[in-house]
Amino acid sequence: MSNMLVGLRDWVDARLPIMKAWNTHMGKYYAPKNFNFWYFFGVLSLVVLVNQLLTGIWLTMSYTPSQEGAFASVEYIMRDVDFGWILRYMHSTGASAFFVVVYLHMFRALIYGSYQKPRELIWIFGMLIFVVLMAEAFVGYVLPWGQMSYWGAQVIISLFGAIPYVGEDIVTWIRGDYLISGITLNRFFALHVVALPIVLLALVVLHLLALHEVGSNNPDGVDIKKHKDKAGVPLDGVAFHPYYTVHDLQAIGVFLFIFCGIIFFMPEMGGYFLEFANFEHANNLKTPEHIAPVWYFTPYYSVLRAVPDKFWGFIAFAASVAVPFMLPWLDRSPVKSWRYRGNITKVMLVTFVASFLILGVLGVWSPTDARTTLARICSVIYFAFFLLMPIWTSMDKTKPVPDRVTTDGGIGFWGSIAGLLLILALTVLPLKAVAAESSHACGSIPCEPFVADPEDKASLQHGAKLYMNYCMGCHSLQYARYNRVSEDLGIPEDLFEANLKFDPDVKMGALMGNAMDKGEAKKWFGAAPPDLTLVSRARQPEWLYTYLLSFYKDDSRPYGVNNKVFKDVGMPNVLLELQGMQECAPGPVKAHNGGVKRDPLTGADILEDPCGKFEITFAGEMTPEEYDNAVYDLVNFLDYVAEPMKSDRHRIGIYTLLFIALFTVFAWLLNREYWKDVH
Amino acid sequence: MSSDGVNSTRRKFLTAATSAVGAAGVVGVAVPFVGSWNPSAKAKAAGAPVKFDFSKLESGQMSVVEWRGKPVYVVNRTEAQLETLPGLSSKLKDPDSLNTAQQPPYITGIDRSTKPELLVIVGLCTHLGCAPKYVPEVGVLAGASWEGGFFCPCHGSKFDLSGRVYEGAPASANLLVPPYSFEDDKVLVIGVNPEEV
Repeated sequence: MSNMLVGLRDWVDARLPIMKAWNTHMGKYYAPKNFNFWYFFGVLSLVVLVNQLLTGIWLTMSYTPSQEGAFASVEYIMRDVDFGWILRYMHSTGASAFFVVVYLHMFRALIYGSYQKPRELIWIFGMLIFVVLMAEAFVGYVLPWGQMSYWGAQVIISLFGAIPYVGEDIVTWIRGDYLISGITLNRFFALHVVALPIVLLALVVLHLLALHEVGSNNPDGVDIKKHKDKAGVPLDGVAFHPYYTVHDLQAIGVFLFIFCGIIFFMPEMGGYFLEFANFEHANNLKTPEHIAPVWYFTPYYSVLRAVPDKFWGFIAFAASVAVPFMLPWLDRSPVKSWRYRGNITKVMLVTFVASFLILGVLGVWSPTDARTTLARICSVIYFAFFLLMPIWTSMDKTKPVPDRVTTDGGIGFWGSIAGLLLILALTVLPLKAVAAESSHACGSIPCEPFVADPEDKASLQHGAKLYMNYCMGCHSLQYARYNRVSEDLGIPEDLFEANLKFDPDVKMGALMGNAMDKGEAKKWFGAAPPDLTLVSRARQPEWLYTYLLSFYKDDSRPYGVNNKVFKDVGMPNVLLELQGMQECAPGPVKAHNGGVKRDPLTGADILEDPCGKFEITFAGEMTPEEYDNAVYDLVNFLDYVAEPMKSDRHRIGIYTLLFIALFTVFAWLLNREYWKDVH
Repeated sequence: MSSDGVNSTRRKFLTAATSAVGAAGVVGVAVPFVGSWNPSAKAKAAGAPVKFDFSKLESGQMSVVEWRGKPVYVVNRTEAQLETLPGLSSKLKDPDSLNTAQQPPYITGIDRSTKPELLVIVGLCTHLGCAPKYVPEVGVLAGASWEGGFFCPCHGSKFDLSGRVYEGAPASANLLVPPYSFEDDKVLVIGVNPEEV
């Protein structure tokens, strides 16, 4: 058997130089033996690339690239396709993970001077990869066709309108329409799944070929090729395979552990990986209240916003992406690694990284005057770091670089932690100074706390019953299916069909639409009642819970009620018969921190808000506690229906993490075995 | 670099163990990729069992019911039509339905049905998938005597009133009987075996 395989290998090798390729890139590629933590991120970005390609191909199998079908097809993948939600979360989390590892990989190049001669081309290819990756991520984000997809595309494409004379024509040409439409979506789909991935792969190959031609840099910035043994092997080098393959394997284990932790336990990452507003279908007539790009674009977006002019803002934005390309020629230091540079480099590096992080955070926040000032300061630091680099690198005093690589150089683990803390402090303190947020998350009042419990079947069943009786008449659940809900909630299909499904012509396998005419509904309520399948993800459950508890009597409104969370909402209080009628009563003013203003002398609450609390003027069928519980069950059901696989997700996640931990232990032992004799 | 202390047994063991765990991981990762190719909830809903009220189907009449995108023929056979079946055996390729792939195990006998008068078959020719025509009139068809049955216009395959294929036809197998059962005296459910009800 093994003879046959060797024979086959030699047969191919005589015709295609596979052994030579293997030796050039793996078996006899000698990498410096002193790689540290920062050298894992190149391999990790390859892991993420493979993840994105595979899951991406699989997602296209069920995705519909059309204005009408895109949003629904994403929910189809999340709900109806077996394991579709895993593939989608792998892809969406992978997008953010890609930028995490690429940013860290670039930081490594920055501190160890990996862009310096002779590695200029590696840096140029790397920067091109970064730019193509940004384009790929941008067009990819449009595909789910949610509100953030739409308005993000609107803002970014409008940027090109800043170009003098031809700007507006270019914008129309990119869109292929007079607004962002299905036409734009279709071309972005083609770019995302075919054109840009091909370019990306080609650039990755060039990046690696250029690297393997000149060899890897290392934390000391020492050229290991100066000292070779008789066979021509660098004395400070080890063969990439097996030494670095086993070395990287443990890093891959740790990375996958974190990556899967996010996929299975926090796929939205608090709204940073999957933005909440994107769970709402694109609407070209309504911008979401708070619009921010995905986190990995925010530093550049902050630069754009910091400039008080459309054209120059665009120029600054483009320049902030472009200026790092020139890094190899801006750096005049004779020394590569920061280890052997002077204090100017250290101060500049720390300030630069802190400014970049501050710009990132500011890009997520809505702008205020103080924040804009901070963004301007940080933008100046960002550009000064690069453009003044020829000056400050020439001024900086360098230390002698050792002849051979060291394994105990640098600042060590605790030194790195101290550096990290220093950078974090420099980032957090200026941000704290401009942080004051002024509005409550739930309209005019703070949100009531709410923790969903997808395992509480009784609560979900009760919630489903309330929903079908009080809500379904107006609000469809058009991405969910009756039979899935009945199965997940443990309600036998015949019972469900008899008591909770009101249209006998609709099958149990059907989507939970309703027959309400959208146009008529608009006449009745002023706005068509929205579909509520995803409302718990778009609005968040605590908002829903607070909203449903906050109807009060207001005779100026068409249905005689208003809402503290959603002012002047078109919806009547459909649960009135259960809750009874609440009326405003003078109550305490809630401070922003959730506390209550009190009289400093008596300690009594100051009742200066005319609607600071509610009083029930006529009782409903339920006591207030019963009503609170009913609303909890209803919102719990909506939370389930927004992500029906949540409990599967947690269950599979635990097994996956345990498995990866096991793998990492073996990879760690294997690495230790190989490296114990390398000194 | 020295190779003095290389413990090759340990290395081999750890390499094998890590590879084995890694391979198991690859299999685990493959599960969602392979599994996502199964029929989705949408496909399953579209392929769900179909109900058909046959009480209004007159004797000798045929109705076409769509099940999983395929035409299913439901024929309410007359006594006279049923009486033609036993005499045809010599002209048929598989008169006793010995090819078990063409009907569920509970479909037996020359009438190939559970209620003798009610024939339920997938209306796709077993030759190349055209939809055969229902030709109940007794007489002459394509130059040969005809007791009534199904005739495929594409390549001339003939089937009797139980969907059994005639000798000399390009088709080799009898028409397919789908799984079916009865909800009550009037309603036929296509796609569900009797024991599953």
